[in-house]
Amino acid sequence: MSRLGNNADWADDDEYDDPSALPATQITENKDGTKTVVSYRFNDENKKVKVTRRIKSTVVREHVNPQVAERRSWDKFGLEKGHAPGPSFDTTSVGENMIFRPSTNWKAQAAEAEKNPEQGSMKDQLKDKKVKCRICNGEHFTARCPFKDTMAPVEEATGAGDMGADEGAAGGLGAGSSSYVPPHLRGKAGGAAGEKMGGRFEKDDLATLRVTNVSELAEEQELRDLFERFGRVTRVFLARDRETQRAKGFAFISYADRGDAARACEKMDGFGYRHLILRVEFAKRST
Amino acid sequence: MRPILLSGHERSLTQIRFNKDGDLLFSTSKDKIVCAWWSANGERLGTYAGHQGAVWTVDVSPNTVLLATGSADNTVRLWNVKTGECVKTWDFPTAVKRVAFSPDGSKLLAVTEKRMGFLGTIAVFDITYGDGDLSNLNAQAEEPSLRITCTESKATVAGWSYLGRYIIAGHEDGSVSQYDPKSGDQLENVQAHEFDHQINDLQFSPDRSYFITASKDKSAKLIAASNLAILKTYVADTPLNSASITPKKDYVILGGGQAAMDVTTTSARQGKFEARFYHKVFEDEIGRVRGHFGPLNTIDVHPAGTAYASGGEDGYVRIHHFDKPYFDFMYEVEREQMRK
Repeated sequence: MSRLGNNADWADDDEYDDPSALPATQITENKDGTKTVVSYRFNDENKKVKVTRRIKSTVVREHVNPQVAERRSWDKFGLEKGHAPGPSFDTTSVGENMIFRPSTNWKAQAAEAEKNPEQGSMKDQLKDKKVKCRICNGEHFTARCPFKDTMAPVEEATGAGDMGADEGAAGGLGAGSSSYVPPHLRGKAGGAAGEKMGGRFEKDDLATLRVTNVSELAEEQELRDLFERFGRVTRVFLARDRETQRAKGFAFISYADRGDAARACEKMDGFGYRHLILRVEFAKRST
Repeated sequence: MRPILLSGHERSLTQIRFNKDGDLLFSTSKDKIVCAWWSANGERLGTYAGHQGAVWTVDVSPNTVLLATGSADNTVRLWNVKTGECVKTWDFPTAVKRVAFSPDGSKLLAVTEKRMGFLGTIAVFDITYGDGDLSNLNAQAEEPSLRITCTESKATVAGWSYLGRYIIAGHEDGSVSQYDPKSGDQLENVQAHEFDHQINDLQFSPDRSYFITASKDKSAKLIAASNLAILKTYVADTPLNSASITPKKDYVILGGGQAAMDVTTTSARQGKFEARFYHKVFEDEIGRVRGHFGPLNTIDVHPAGTAYASGGEDGYVRIHHFDKPYFDFMYEVEREQMRK
């Protein structure tokens, strides 16, 4: 019965006994080699605060002169006598980080930095820059443009007739044609209409209409209905704002036949649609 | 580069010195106390109290056992670096402006002020380090082994050249002279800086074969120790108080600024309170480090070339540990040299 002196009963949870008592610090080892230390303390307003720290300890081995190592164990003296190890706040502080980059033309650089101090890194400069497609002015890269196939600049072969001429030549191993033809396109170049990837769509280029002054509320289906009256429409593209999903005011309509496209262009130019007058023209090849 | 600010002094700094291993930094100021700091984290190791006046200068022996300080209370004191005890006091008729240990630590020179009818002198003391176990440090010579009197112009700064072969002194009139430390004869005297522009600092290269002087005439000069030939000139736009040669990279650091009495009337930017980095060989200014609110009184470079510290009129010491761009910078010709 030697434990009688200890008045706390084993069944009592001492956390409830004393409201000012702090729960014990918990240390858990994480799988990634870090430690999570959960400790409790009272802040300035006397409220209990839980502090969770994740600590990663790394061992840095350093070879120092034995005299230097011996000096590290020296006790503090003078005004610092008896103070705890480690820098004290009243004598030591850390200043603002500064960039020191030696350079022969540092004067010009310093003047530049002075002029526009808010100018940050290249990344910050490009942060607000919008991606703009060269083909349809949409908010995507030119390479991702849905009209890449129809509008993309193509060096050779401008007309449908040329396509036919190409067909025979491309069958051989690039014989007769100066450009290289990938094997999977040989013999069927310009063949299957459904094969869009890598195919050439100069033909489409000439049967595509660019429609501008389109209402913000326009729908792709409405445009299709409007233009389908003149012939088979292979594709309707309505440029939309990425965020608001509203139309940006222009569209591309592709016809299967150039004659239909020409007729549509003539009839629909100046057509009133949704309170705005459409302007229709043949899409220009972007170069 | 995040500077460590040491605010242990209440008045302007007069000199700072790293020890030979670079782990300790000693600073003196006009507030009579001497501080020792760990250079790595800016922790203060201790203070050396005992001086009765502004402390003008400090130097530490090469083995970091003894610390010498010279003060406006007309004394040179020798301290036990580890304990902070004063082991020896030498009295002079005038203030002491500069102390320096010889490269082997066996001698200590002290430059005294010219005042009240006394001429400026350079006194040399023999230093002993006790009985091998550093126990009997206070058994030092009472009288200097040599006394050089500067009859023409008082010496303001002095130091030891390679192997302690010469004593090099900078004078108030802008000249630099070379003395024989055995006989005390003046071997050479060169008007290195403009006449009547005081030399404020003189620091040696790591091998002590050449040194840099900083003068009130707004320039710093690199001078050979053996014949006092002027090797390089670094021109600044402000009076210079301190100059230092960086090991590892071929730079020099100059510090200065408007005279302390004009400081309150100028903004920090116009006051030119920056540490200026020049390329040692090409003499081009390659950058500045801002931070002090007053002129830089003293600069010292870590002996390994990885950091430098500056002490200002504003009472702060700032330790800067260099980061990568500092070490990477090279002139095109240097780069080509590297490739070969």
